Amino acid sequence: MTTPVLEIRNLHARIEDREILKGVNLIIPPGEVHAIMGRNGSGKSTLSYVLAGKEDYEVTEGEILLNGENILEMEPDERAAAGLFLAFQYPIEIPGVATMTFLKAAINAQRKARGEGELTTPEFMRLVKEAGSQLNIDSDMLKRPLNVGFSGGEKKRAEIMQMALLKPSLAVLDETDSGLDIDALQVVSKGVNALRDGQRSMLVITHYQRLLNHIVPDVVHVFADGRIVESGDKELALKLEAEGYANYGGEAA
Amino acid sequence: MRPNFPVRLGAAEQALIDQLKSAGADQAAERISVAGLPTRRVESYHYTDLKMLLRAIPALGQPANEASAPALRVPGAFNLMIANGVIQNASTAPAGVIVGKAQGGVLTTRDDVLVHVNNGLAKEALTLTLENSVDPVIQVERRIEGEAAHVADALKVFVADGASAVILETFSGSDAAHVGNHATYMALGKNAVVTHITLDLSARGVSHFATNEYHLADGAKLRTLIIHAGAGLSRTHLFPHMGGAGAHADVTGLNLVSEGQHADITMETSHAVPHTSSQPLFKSIARGRSKAVVQGKLVVARDAQKTDAKFMHQGLMLSDEAEILSKPELEIYADDVVCGHGSTCGKLDEDSLFYLLSRGIPKAEAETMLVRGFIAELLDPVEDEALNEALQGVVDGWLLGK
Repeated sequence: MTTPVLEIRNLHARIEDREILKGVNLIIPPGEVHAIMGRNGSGKSTLSYVLAGKEDYEVTEGEILLNGENILEMEPDERAAAGLFLAFQYPIEIPGVATMTFLKAAINAQRKARGEGELTTPEFMRLVKEAGSQLNIDSDMLKRPLNVGFSGGEKKRAEIMQMALLKPSLAVLDETDSGLDIDALQVVSKGVNALRDGQRSMLVITHYQRLLNHIVPDVVHVFADGRIVESGDKELALKLEAEGYANYGGEAA
Repeated sequence: MRPNFPVRLGAAEQALIDQLKSAGADQAAERISVAGLPTRRVESYHYTDLKMLLRAIPALGQPANEASAPALRVPGAFNLMIANGVIQNASTAPAGVIVGKAQGGVLTTRDDVLVHVNNGLAKEALTLTLENSVDPVIQVERRIEGEAAHVADALKVFVADGASAVILETFSGSDAAHVGNHATYMALGKNAVVTHITLDLSARGVSHFATNEYHLADGAKLRTLIIHAGAGLSRTHLFPHMGGAGAHADVTGLNLVSEGQHADITMETSHAVPHTSSQPLFKSIARGRSKAVVQGKLVVARDAQKTDAKFMHQGLMLSDEAEILSKPELEIYADDVVCGHGSTCGKLDEDSLFYLLSRGIPKAEAETMLVRGFIAELLDPVEDEALNEALQGVVDGWLLGK
C-alpha cells in the first residue's frame, strides 16, 4: 500500500481549557481530494490550524503524519517545507511587505530547507507571471503590500497563486469559498483544479455544498463536535445540503 | 522656572558652566548654575532626565587630526563635513549650491538648555544657500574624532523660493564618550520642497543631542526623517514653524534602541497662520532593556484656522524589558481646525507571524520582514534610490546586530 499523503490518528487538541478536536481520524491517499463539511463551530477551522502548527492550540493526543512523517514536533515553517500548505479563510494583511518580496522569500526559504538552490530573479519572475496569469493576477497587484486592500476575491486568488508556486503535497483549503461571488468562485476553483495532478492531495473545508460543485471531492466527511462522524462519496454533500446538519447532533450555530 | 533654593551641581554641570564661561556665554552659564540640568520634574525632560543621564561632559573638542571611516556612503552625493566643530573644505559644489560660513550659533532663542549650550559654544556655522533645485543628495557629515570631546556645531540652510533638495546629515566619529550638540536651522522659501534626513550612527559611548529648527513659507513642503541608531543616549528636538499658507510638513522619525540605549525625539510644531498642515509620524523599536521616547506637541495659534495636523507614534516592543514612552500634546487656540493624536504600542503581530511561517519562511526571517514592513512607511517616501538603499542598509544592520 502506498503511504497516504495525510494520516491523522486519534487527534485531540484544545485551546486553553476547551477541547475542540476530540479524536479525529483521517486518511488521504495521494491524489485524492477530501472535503470536510460541518456547521460553524464544529472544529473544522481548528483542524486546519492544528495541521499548520498554530501555537495557540495544544495537541493533547494523537498523531499527524505527512507523507509518513510525524509533523507534530515541527514548526509551521518546517511543515510548509515538508509539503503542507494552508489556504487561509481570512488571509492576513501585512502592511509594508510587498507581495512580490513575500513570494520570493517563501519560495526560496522552502527551496533552501529542501536543499535546493535559490531561484534567480528572472526564473522567479517567469514563474510568478505564469501562475498569476491563470488567476487574473497582474503585476500591479503583486507590487502592493501583501493582502492589504485586496478585495475578498483578490485575497483568495492570491492564496491559490501561492499554492501554485509552492507546490505542496497537501493543500488544506479553509473555507476558500467564503466571501466569493460566483465569478470569483469559478476563477478560484479553476485554479485549484489545475493543481490536481493525481499526486497532490487536498483537504477542502467548507460548510456549503456549492464549492464542491466546482471542486469535486473523492470523499466527503461530516465533521461534528470535534470529530468525523460520517464519510461517504460526493452524494453525501448533496444529502447534507438537503437535510442540514441536524442529524449529527449538537445545536445549530 | 527658577527654584528659589540652590541646586546641587554635579560634575557635568560644573564642566558645562566652565565651558560656557570660557566661550563668553555668561547668561547660559548662569542659567545652569541656578537651575542645573533638567530633571524629570521639568515637563519636557520628564522621560529624559539629563541630570541623571548625563554624568560627565568631556573637554571642548579640538580640531581633529585623524578621521574615522565615513558613517554612510551614498553614491552620487555631494559631501560636506564638520569635524569637531570645524568646517572642512569641500569639493566644488553642484550648480545652485553656495557653501559658506557664518559666525556663532544658528538657533532661535528658546528656553531649552541644549539650545542655550549650542548657541553658546558653536563658534561657526556651515551655511548652505540653495538657489534652485539641487539634484545630488547633499550630505553633511558631522563627526567627533579623537579623544572624548564636547562638540557644538551648527548648520544653516536657506532654500530659495521654488527650489528643492534632499539633505542628509550623518553623525558619527571615533569610539570615545563624546557629547555632541548639533544645531540645524533651515528656512524654506515659497513652494520649496525639502527632504531632511538626520541619521545618528555615533558609537554607543556617545551622548548625541540635536536641534532642528524649520521655517516654512507659503506652499513649502518639508519631509523630515530622524533616525536614532547609534548613540547610547540621544535626543533630537524638532521645531517646525509653519509660517506660510499652504505649507505642509511630514515630520517623521525612528528610534531604534537596543540594550542600554535611550533615544528621545521631542517635537513641537507650531502652526502660526491659517491653512497649514502637518503629519507627524514616529516609530520606535525597542529590544533588550532600552528606552524610546517620543514627545509631540502641536501648537495652533489663534489665527491659524483650517490647520490640519495629526500626530502619530507607533511603538514595537521586541522584548519584555523594553520601554516605549509616548507623550502627545495639543495646544490649540484656533476654533476651526482638524487636529488629532494617536499612539499605539505592541509586539509583533502573532497572526502575521504565523501567516509568514505557514509559507515556509523561518521565524527569524519572518520577524525581520515584519519589522521592515513596520518601518516601510518611513523609508518608502525617500525617493533617491541610492539613499533609500543606504538607509535600508542601516536598518537591516540594526536588525541583524543584537
